[in-house]
Amino acid sequence: MQGLGYLEETVLLLILSMDDEAYGFSVSEAYKKHAGKSISISAIHSVMSRLEKKGLIKSHMGGATAERGGRRKRIFEATAQGKEVITEIKVSRQKLWSLIADLS
Amino acid sequence: MKGSTNQPPRWANKFLIWFVAEDLIEEIQGDLHEAHFHRSQEIGRLQADRLFIADVFRFFKPYAFEKYSRAKQFLPMFNNYFKIAFRNILHRKSFTAINLVGLTFGIATVMLIGFYLQNELTYDQSTPEYDRIHRLHNHYRDQVYTCMQFSKYFDTEGKDQVNLLNWLKGNEEVETACHFVPSNSQIGGGDKYYVETDGEQFLAEKVLYTNTGMDFQTVFPKQFLAGSPESAFTGFDKVTITEKLAKQWFGSDWQTRDILGRNLTIRDENYELAGVIANIPDNVHYEFDWIIHQETIPSWAGYTYFKLKPNALAEPLLARLNQDVNKVYPGYTEDILNKGILSVPLADIHFTNDTLYELKPIANQAYLTTFGIVGLIILLIILTNYTNLSIAMYADRQKELGMRKVMGARSKDISLQLLIEAILLAMFCLPLVVLILYEVIPHFNELMQINIDRNLLFSGSSILILIGVLVLTGILSGLYPALAYGSRSMLGLFGKSKKINLNHRHYNFRNALLTAQFILVIGLLSLTFFIQQQIDFISNKDLGYQKDGIVYFEIDGAEKYKELENALLQLPEIEAVGANGVPGSVMYNQMTYKMKGTDVTFSDGTQQYLTLGTVKALGIKCDACELLEKGKEKIFVLNQTAAEKLAKIKGVEPKDLINETFISEPEWENEEFGYGIHQNIDGIIDDYKFFSLKYPNQSLIVEIVSKPSWAYEMIVRSNTDNWQATMQKIENEYEKIETARPFDYAFLEDRINDLYLEERRSGTLMKGLSLVALILAMMGLAGIVSYIAYSRQKEIGIRKVLGASVGDILVNFNKQFSYMTLLATIIALPTSIYLASKWLEGFAFQIEPQFWVVLLAGFAALILVVFVVTIQARWAARQHPIDVLKVD
Repeated sequence: MQGLGYLEETVLLLILSMDDEAYGFSVSEAYKKHAGKSISISAIHSVMSRLEKKGLIKSHMGGATAERGGRRKRIFEATAQGKEVITEIKVSRQKLWSLIADLS
Repeated sequence: MKGSTNQPPRWANKFLIWFVAEDLIEEIQGDLHEAHFHRSQEIGRLQADRLFIADVFRFFKPYAFEKYSRAKQFLPMFNNYFKIAFRNILHRKSFTAINLVGLTFGIATVMLIGFYLQNELTYDQSTPEYDRIHRLHNHYRDQVYTCMQFSKYFDTEGKDQVNLLNWLKGNEEVETACHFVPSNSQIGGGDKYYVETDGEQFLAEKVLYTNTGMDFQTVFPKQFLAGSPESAFTGFDKVTITEKLAKQWFGSDWQTRDILGRNLTIRDENYELAGVIANIPDNVHYEFDWIIHQETIPSWAGYTYFKLKPNALAEPLLARLNQDVNKVYPGYTEDILNKGILSVPLADIHFTNDTLYELKPIANQAYLTTFGIVGLIILLIILTNYTNLSIAMYADRQKELGMRKVMGARSKDISLQLLIEAILLAMFCLPLVVLILYEVIPHFNELMQINIDRNLLFSGSSILILIGVLVLTGILSGLYPALAYGSRSMLGLFGKSKKINLNHRHYNFRNALLTAQFILVIGLLSLTFFIQQQIDFISNKDLGYQKDGIVYFEIDGAEKYKELENALLQLPEIEAVGANGVPGSVMYNQMTYKMKGTDVTFSDGTQQYLTLGTVKALGIKCDACELLEKGKEKIFVLNQTAAEKLAKIKGVEPKDLINETFISEPEWENEEFGYGIHQNIDGIIDDYKFFSLKYPNQSLIVEIVSKPSWAYEMIVRSNTDNWQATMQKIENEYEKIETARPFDYAFLEDRINDLYLEERRSGTLMKGLSLVALILAMMGLAGIVSYIAYSRQKEIGIRKVLGASVGDILVNFNKQFSYMTLLATIIALPTSIYLASKWLEGFAFQIEPQFWVVLLAGFAALILVVFVVTIQARWAARQHPIDVLKVD
């Protein structure tokens, strides 16, 4: 039931890597930096809302800044379940990797 | 826009607030504003705005309004309306889809036509205070010249060239006056230039020469990106380039490079690069990439403009000018061919017909009117189609509405609900229309050779018009059902017998509209066909000379020509080489002529100077040319058209004119001949179509020489299969002889085709419009038939019980629509033939519009109609009678 798409997985990993500063714009910037491709903010928003529905991340309203015109950010963090799922993925991937002798 | 200047576009922001769910708006808006903030610092305000708009539209999807119904607890009534509206839309998916696709395409087409018309109708209106600017024209012989001759003709000094301007400025109502000559005009030479700076060489075209730079700047203000009007136009031998050229020459980072003050070498003269200006908008009547400000304009005339002071009138000024004209042009009134100086307001230049040497092609008013009318008809059709389909959609909703009334809804609640639904549905098209136009405008620009800025789409007025049209469509389509159902009694809505029979009430009106659509489709198809026929006709018409295998290019003088001619004739594939007289020209100045001993003077002669080489290269039939072969240096001949005119006056056969005396410019008094120039006619040559086939055969007065004493263009006929190699050889020879001008050749065939560019364009545009009309009509038809089939289920069931076959029922359906197509063809027949002959009036050589073309178009429409009707009605015809009759 908890299948994760590639984009969802990436976004979840980004959120985990960003401590307390994960919100729409910052995640899209981080994605650009790490994945080397740009992504629209709306895509990030819909991925995060899916993740939230699946219960893998939770959110609260954070601080406002001047460049946002005084609007608050919605800060995301991974839930315990989210951390579990991502660890599961990692473990299963590693198992697969251990079966591969040599790529080249 | 108050306070901070760094705000994203307001309308996009408002749009965002409008559609995004309340509990999401803060974070979404915050993120987008933050992104905009960073982007405007990194990539500039404009790009950031664009990306912001794109982002806003990307949010326009269910995710953002997903929580709408959950979050918005206010007005539960409205919420319910929306919910019901969405359900209804989903319930009749194919219907809604047909409806929306038709509406979207139609509105997009109408908007596009609107943009085009706006572009054409606002020509020159971007110039500030354009209503105070006028251009002077000179009426000479039977032609109106758009440029004013300098007082001492070609080799006048700069200070004499401005005589007229000084006179104008001396009048109290004139603020200032200026003149210029663009090189790509018929009087400007049309040259290409090598520009050398810092050891680099650039190619440049389209230069504008002026010697009154400051006045030019006052009349036509240009925005300086580097330098200033003072630096660029004070003193001579200065060059100002547009941003486009600056980027080409110095790279897109030209602003960081110190380019002002550089020395530019152009044809061995030195100029100073003194300014960079913003690009010139496209819809002005002149065109240039750069400006040379020098003391003497290298032409014999200039395009002359004056700007009046506020509230001053042009008429008294013109009257005074015509009175004082001898001061400016000594001897002007003595020359009876001068018929006075006129002025044209700047904004009218683009619409002034039949002038000589106009800078850009003028607007074809017939086309503009046609496009406007077609646009209006399409608008009417989409409105009615949409209304028809919507009415059909509401027809079986009465039970739902009756239920609402039972629950306590008032009439106005029902009406409001239906109206909201209709408007909502129409508004769905908004993003689609914007998207389509955004993609289509660049292609449209390329086709029409115009430059509509597609960001104009996002301007407040366009969006407002678009929303206005859509809301209007929604209201119109919802109004009738809203009022009809709203006022119905509760029982009436439930009662079977009292169904609103939309089917019959709208029968005639709807059929009339459908027929109108068929007329439009058949008419546009026929017109497209006629245009294509005419274009094929003129492409294949015998021009009296050979146009294949011929290239031409500029050459500077007879010396270089002779050298190159000798070199080229050594090449085996070159068949003939000539100088001057390249055919396929637009009209130029005409002259007067008569035969000696007659009184009748004609004023429609055009002079031609050819060389024997040109005659041979073009393969023109010329018996008198034998004289040249035998050693005569120069012969003087008339073409058939001129000879026939003159022979008729003399009462003889054209061939009898040979060895008679011909007088050109008989009103010109001179010492040698008394009046005019006398020449002995050496022969008559066949008519050849020197000008576009839009004009009838012209009287050509031709001088043919065996060796040219002057040359400005060269014509080469080759017999080769490998054009690339041949052109390379010619270019090699050219470059040995000519170093100052780049080798720039063109094929004669292309030049002749270019004469009909506008006609080809309108052909393509007609094709597009007929396609849209066709799609709209077929969609409207499909919708109506499927609705009729749906509401006639029981009737069909009974017919089947009584023994009708599927085929019978389909024939029954088709009959009605086939009659409509037939009627449409009959109406379209005279209309499209009339319109086609109107269009063909622009050509002296034309096809006869054949009625079978319209019949063919009607037949094609009929096949499509039968196809659509059969597809749509098949379902109803195939139903088992039991299934449809057992209900109720």
